[in-house]
Parts: sequence; structure tokens; C-alpha cells
Amino acid sequence: MTLQLVLIGAASLFCVGLYGALSQQVVVMVMMGLELMLNGVILAAAAFWWFLAPAPDGQVLLLVVIAAMTVEMAMGFAVAILLHRSRQTDMTEMASDLSG
Amino acid sequence: MPEAVLFVVLAVIAVAAGVAVFRTDSMARASYALAVSFVAVGLMLLQFRLEYIGVITVLMMVMEMAVMAIFMIMFMGMNPALMPMDMVHSKKLSAGAAIGLFLLLTAGILLADWPEGRSNAGGDLTRSLGEAIMEPKMLVMLVISPVLFATMVSALVLANPHGRYSAYPLLPAEDADDDGQGHEQGQPGGSGGHAAHGMHGTDGGSGTSDGHGQHHGGGGHQ
Amino acid sequence: MSWLLILLIGLPAAAGTALALAGAKADRTAAALSVVVSALVLGAASAAAALRPSLSAQFLAGSGFGLSVDPLSALLLPAVAGVAFLVLLYAAASGIGTPARFHGLMLLFIASVLVTVTATTLSALLFAWEIMGAASYALIGFHWRESRRVSSGLTAFVATRSADLGLYLAAGAAMAAGAWSGDAMSLAGLDSLPGPWRDVAAAGILVAAVGKAAQLPFSFWLSRAMDGPSAVSALLHSAAMVAMGGYLLLRVQPLLAATGWAADAAAWAGAATAVVLGFIAIGQQDLKQLLAASTAAQLGFVVMAAGVGDAAGGAAHLMAHAATKSALFLAAGAWLAALGTKKLSDLRGVGHRWPLLGGAFTVAVLSLAGIPPLALWATKDNILTAAREHSFPLYIAGLAGAVLAAAYAAKAVALLWKPMLPETASGYDAEETGSRTVTPWQLVPIGVLAACAAVSGLLVLGTTGDIIRGVLGSKAESSLLELAVSGLLAAAVLVPLWVLGGKLPPLPGALAWLHMERAAHIVLVRPVLAAARSLARFDDAVLSRGVERAAKKALQGARSLNRADGALDHGTDAAAAATARLAGRSAITDHTIDGAVSSLARTVRHAGAAARRPQTGQLHHYYVQAAAVLVVAAVLLIVVR
Repeated sequence: MTLQLVLIGAASLFCVGLYGALSQQVVVMVMMGLELMLNGVILAAAAFWWFLAPAPDGQVLLLVVIAAMTVEMAMGFAVAILLHRSRQTDMTEMASDLSG
Repeated sequence: MPEAVLFVVLAVIAVAAGVAVFRTDSMARASYALAVSFVAVGLMLLQFRLEYIGVITVLMMVMEMAVMAIFMIMFMGMNPALMPMDMVHSKKLSAGAAIGLFLLLTAGILLADWPEGRSNAGGDLTRSLGEAIMEPKMLVMLVISPVLFATMVSALVLANPHGRYSAYPLLPAEDADDDGQGHEQGQPGGSGGHAAHGMHGTDGGSGTSDGHGQHHGGGGHQ
Repeated sequence: MSWLLILLIGLPAAAGTALALAGAKADRTAAALSVVVSALVLGAASAAAALRPSLSAQFLAGSGFGLSVDPLSALLLPAVAGVAFLVLLYAAASGIGTPARFHGLMLLFIASVLVTVTATTLSALLFAWEIMGAASYALIGFHWRESRRVSSGLTAFVATRSADLGLYLAAGAAMAAGAWSGDAMSLAGLDSLPGPWRDVAAAGILVAAVGKAAQLPFSFWLSRAMDGPSAVSALLHSAAMVAMGGYLLLRVQPLLAATGWAADAAAWAGAATAVVLGFIAIGQQDLKQLLAASTAAQLGFVVMAAGVGDAAGGAAHLMAHAATKSALFLAAGAWLAALGTKKLSDLRGVGHRWPLLGGAFTVAVLSLAGIPPLALWATKDNILTAAREHSFPLYIAGLAGAVLAAAYAAKAVALLWKPMLPETASGYDAEETGSRTVTPWQLVPIGVLAACAAVSGLLVLGTTGDIIRGVLGSKAESSLLELAVSGLLAAAVLVPLWVLGGKLPPLPGALAWLHMERAAHIVLVRPVLAAARSLARFDDAVLSRGVERAAKKALQGARSLNRADGALDHGTDAAAAATARLAGRSAITDHTIDGAVSSLARTVRHAGAAARRPQTGQLHHYYVQAAAVLVVAAVLLIVVR
């Protein structure tokens, strides 16, 4: 269980999540991809902490990441609901208001 | 050695579950796969003696998956027939991007000159984490707490069907059977909160009011 | 009293100018006007002679314009005025073509003669002298349609004018010698000039007077002057103009006496003239030519008188001669007008045709001959007496002159009373168509003048002679013996010649006046003209060529400047073209720059348009972009760090 191994695992998780975020049409699925990416980030952070700087204070960063994940989940779902309410859809294509 | 093997197994499970999220046809199953992936990652964290964080991750993710499953079903409907769903766009591009990034990261990981690792962390990590949060890292807590609170509030506000304002009294009676498209006839006011928060500039009318209760979940699929 | 002088001179001058300028318009009144004016002038002259006025005015710097009537001019003024009046009366009576011009010129001439007589300064004298000469030219050539008459006038004018240079010389000497006071050029002060200047002045005045009085060698012009009308001859060439030459010498007689040689020169010149011209007169066949020669001879006596210092005798002779000669000329003119000829042979027997005229002519001729008791006998003797006191040879010469005078007088009158021959009438109308009449008014002036000629002897004889001599300061008085001798001599010559019909063997060359005119031509005229021609050639060859060359150079200079200017223009054009090319190139550059700028703008616009394309509004696109950017940034960070 070397650092590289763990990091490769984290990278693979991250990339799978990236594939999902880029390819999914449904907002919820995109968010699932984002979750996976954050998953990989948590793993990588833990690996870094464990192998490079296992001070107790380093765990706080993991907490922060988890909190960020939480916030992102909440806001994303709220927006998805709103999107659905106004446009009766859950496709990201329908939310292309920023196109210009 | 057994740790490594365990780790590899858990990693494989996590990645496989992650892939499975996007390859299943059922929403529920996608959610469960994601949950499995998270649990595996949590267990991996436990391997790192990050008991608190690992446990939190597992717990939180399981609950989150449950909620997500509800949401997915709400928006996309159950697919009891498990008909193949291919709701992707630019599949090749994203796959290519993902694979490219993976290769890049792997190259970076393997080639990078990692510094020497320190000695393992000792003592009660949970306790030290708590002490760290409460004393040197108080600022983090102080920031995260209001953020989480704000998130809760804003999510509630956004999700509130009425918005902040009561229903506009001049809201005309709506037709019983209108199709799944939005009411684009430019009704004045409407749900003022939606008009205010939604920022849907192109739409003349606001979103559906809760009076209709027609969730066009499946309408927007094609 | 000077108003009298102004009147005396101004009246004829103004009347003459008015008549001459008025031209043909005044023809009807001209004769009457001129007679009236000359009568008034006579009256004024008499008054002036009595009252002796004087006048002086500013004229030139250093010399004033002085007129005054002193004893000498008091004698001559009435005489000249009287003769002028009578001559103008005759001219009015006989008539002449274009009378206004004639009478105007005559009056102008009279005015200038009066100024000459009364002048006290050389500038006034010169002024009048020149006007006299100009008037004489105009009057001699009065019938200007005949070119011979005009050339005669020109000859007379040029001859006297050449002699007048002497007067200018004298004036210059007087000015050079005298101080620049008002009196510098007075005639009276000439004899007090310092040494050499006095001689120069005397020589100049002598030459001028000799020329004007037609003495040798200037006598030829008087011959030519006979081409003028008879009235002109009567006034100018007997009484007025030639007389002024003698008068001038009489006036400056103190100067001549002061410079010893001048008096002798004058006396001998006068004597020589009297003799030589006496011979010439004898050789003439034309009545007027004879009279002209006799005029010069008689004036020789006057000149001799001035030379020997006998002012009274000279003045008396002058006046007597004036009356005599003008009577003779007027009679000759009457015959010319009546018969159209003035040849002596053609005038044969004319005395019988017009007896009164013939009688008057005879009286005057006898006076000319010097027959007692007529005028010229007495005055001539006065002069001869003075000459004898001066030098005996001079007296003998004068006597010879007197004898010759009797001879030509006889010749003049001899054929008059002879009966006419059949062939005589064929000579009539040779010069002009005669009118065959002599009007009574023509006779009157002639008669009056003949009468004056008869009685003028009293000017030197008796009480009046004494008065005059006293006034003029002369001492000569002829003795009875001298008078008797000269009278007998004259009669002895006159009577036989008369009886013989005036045939005399003439001096060879006398008819042609001793070729004096040709001599003057060769000596003076031809050299002057040759000099003028060579000067003209010099002017053409050298001076004008120089001027032409300068002009050519200037033209060449201008042309080369033009070429330089052309080159300059060329340069300017080339510069302008180069500038235009540069401007074009800069325009191209500008164009290029414009093109670059616009292409840059286009590129930026395209980039701007392209920048909008990533903003599809699609979430996954944004994710891709964000991921790519992050990856690139991370790689960059790692690589750099």
C-alpha cells in the first residue's frame, strides 16, 4: 500500500467520476459523477495525509472536503428541483441560459 | 501485505461500483452502486486509521444515496422494465477526456518525486482531531458552520414551492389540461418567488405553480 | 516813367504776337491794326526821347534786364519808329498775302529793335538780338512756298547767328571778369573790364556787329536777303536790323577806344567795306541787289565812325541812311509790284510813267550819292572829317568810298528817265505778275521818306548839329572846304555817269558779290557738316553699337536666367514628382498599415465571435472546459515549480 497505489486508485475514481459528469444528460446523474470525483479527492487526501503528513490537524482538511461535498449536494438538488418546476425537465440541455 | 490486498480489493470494488453507476439502467441501482462505492472508500479510510472520518463518510453517503434515490425516481421515474437508457451526450469526448486525464495523473503520480513519508500518526486520532477542531482549527469550524446553515436555509428557500411571497391574487385560473411544456404565455407575476429567484429570462411566465402538481418527470426525457 | 518804356515795347510786342497767332482770321484787320500800333509806337518813342525813362528788372543771376533812353538812343528811337510807321503804311497800302502773319512778324521785329536800341545790359541786348534774327528769318522767307526764298532766309539767319557767337563770347568775358553784381554785364561798363577780358569782349562785339551790319566778310547774306518782300527790305535791311550792327558799335565806342586795336579794326573794316562793296554795287544789274550792296557800303561809313569815335556823325549817318534807303527800297518794291521786274534794264523809262514816284526816287538817290545839300552828303563828310583826324589813309579810303557811292547811285537812276525802248516791256512780269498801278497810299510813305532824306543833313549842320554833337560828346565838325570838295567830287562823278546811262565796267566777280557766299560755304559750312557727319558716324559705330551690345548682353543674361529658371522648374517638378511618389508609397504604407489594422480588427472580431462559441449553456461543455483549464494549470504549476 504505497502512496502511488492509493493515488492511482484515487485517480481512477476521479476519472470515472469525470466521465460521468461530462457525459450524463440528467442533472442528478451529473451530480453523481461529481460525487465520485469528490470521492476520489477524499481518498487522495487521506493518502497524502497518511503517507506524507500524518498530523492530527491534517484530518481537518478531510472534514472540509466532506462538508463541501455536502453543500454541493444540497444546492445542486435545490436547483434541480427548481429547474424541474420551471421547465418540467431534468436535462442539462434545457438549462442552457448561459449560452451566448 | 494483507492491508495492500484489502486495499486493492476495496479499490477495485469502488471503481467498479463507480463505473456501474453509469452503466445501469435503473435509477435505484445507480444510487445503490454509488453507495457501494462510497462505502468502499469509507472502509479504505478506516484502513488509514481515520476511524471518525471513515465512519462519517459511510454514514453520510448511505443517507445521501437514499435521498438521491428518491430524487432520481422523482425526476426520472421508476424504470421497472429496466429498458436500456442511454442518456449520454458527447460520450466519446468525455470518455476520451477521462482516459486522458487518468493517464496524465498516473504519469504524474508515478513520475513525481514524492517526499519521504513521516512516521505514522500515533495516539487517538479521533481525539486529536476533535482537539484540533476545537482549538487550533476553530476557524474552520467557525466557517463551516454558517456555511452549512446557509446551505440549509437556501436549499429550503429554493425548494419551497411558494417561494418567499404568497400567491399573487390576480393569478388567473389555469387550464386543467395543458401539456408538459411550461406556461410560456407570460402570466403576470405568477409565483413571484420563482420569478425572482429563477432568473429564467426567456420564459415569460413563471414555472408551474404548485396548484398543478403535474410533475412532468418523463416528459423531458427525449 | 518806366511805364512809357513798357508801353513802347509791350504794345508792338503784344499786337504782333496777337496778329501772328491769330493767323488768317485777322487778315482783314491786320493792316489797319499794325498801322495804328506803329503810329502809337512813334508817339511813344518821341515821348520817350523827350522824357528819357529807364527801367530795370531781374533777369538772370548776375545780370539784370536794363532798358533806358540815353542821348544816343533818344536820337534813334523816333527815327526807327518813324521809318517803321511809314513802311507799315506802305505795306498796308500795297497789300500782301496773309497780312496778319506779315504784320504780326513786323510788329514783333519792331518791338525787338526797340529793346535793342534801349538795352543797357548784355543780357537784354542778346535777348532782343536773337529775336531780331528769328524775325528776319521768318520775314525774308515770307513767301515760303518758294524754296529759294526760304533758303535765303536760312542763309541770312545762319550767317548772322554765327556772327552773334561773338556777342556770347563778349557776354561770357564780361561775366567772367566782372563780379556777380547787378552791373556786371552792362554795356557801359564794358570798357572798364580788366585787361584780357576787355579785349575778348571787344573782339566778340566787333565780330557780332560786323556780321549783323553785313560788313566784309559777311556781306553775302544781305544779297540773299533781297529775296524777301520789299517792305521787309525797306525796314530790316536799311533802317533796322543792319543798322543795329552799326548802332552797337556806336554804343560801345568807348570800349573800342579803350582797346586801341579794336577801334582801328572797326575803322578799317568799315572803310574796306565801303570801297569793296561800292565796286560790287557798280557791278549789279538788279536794282535791289544794287541797293543791298550800297546799304553795306554806307554802313561801312557808320562802322568807321564808331571806330574813329564820332558817335554823333555815325548816328546822324545812320538815321539819314535809314530814311534814304527805305525810300529807295519802297520805290523798288512799288515798281516790282507794278511791273513784275526789278532789273535795271527793264526799268528803263519808268520814271515817266509814274513821275511822282520817279521824282521821289531821284531825290533819295541824289542823297545817296552825296550831292549837297542832301543828307548823306553832310553826315558822310562829318565822318570823313573825324576819320581824317584819326588817320589820313583812312580819310582817303573813305573818300574813295564816297566816290563809288556817287557812281552806283548814278547807275541806279540813270535809266530811269531815259525813254523806253521797244524791247523794254518784254522784261516785264519776269518775277511776278505786275499790277501796272501804283496807288497813292503807296506814294505817301515814299514821299515822306524822301523828304526826310533831303532834310536830314540838319542833323550835323547848323544849330541842331551842334546840339547833337554836344549831347553825344563828339567833336568832329566838317569844315566848309571839306564839304565843298566832297560835294563837287560827287557831282563830278554822278553827272557824267547819269548822262552815259550808267554804263560802267564792273569789277570781275562783282556781280557774284565776290563769291563770298561760296567762300563762306567752303570755309565754314562744309567743314562743320563734315564734322557733324563724322560725329554721327562715330555715334552710330561706337556709341550706339555699345548700347546695342549692352542690350544684347542684357538679353543674353535674361535668356540664361530663363534657362536657369527652366532648370529650377525642372528640379521643382522632379521634387514634386518624387514627393508624390513618396506620398503614394506612404499611401501604400498607409494602406498597408490600414490593412494590417483592419485585419487585426477582423481577427479580434473573429476571436470575439469565437469566444462566444464555448458558451453553449451546456453544463458538460463547461465542465470539459473547466477540467481542461485546471489540468493545464496544474501541469504548468508542477512543471514550473
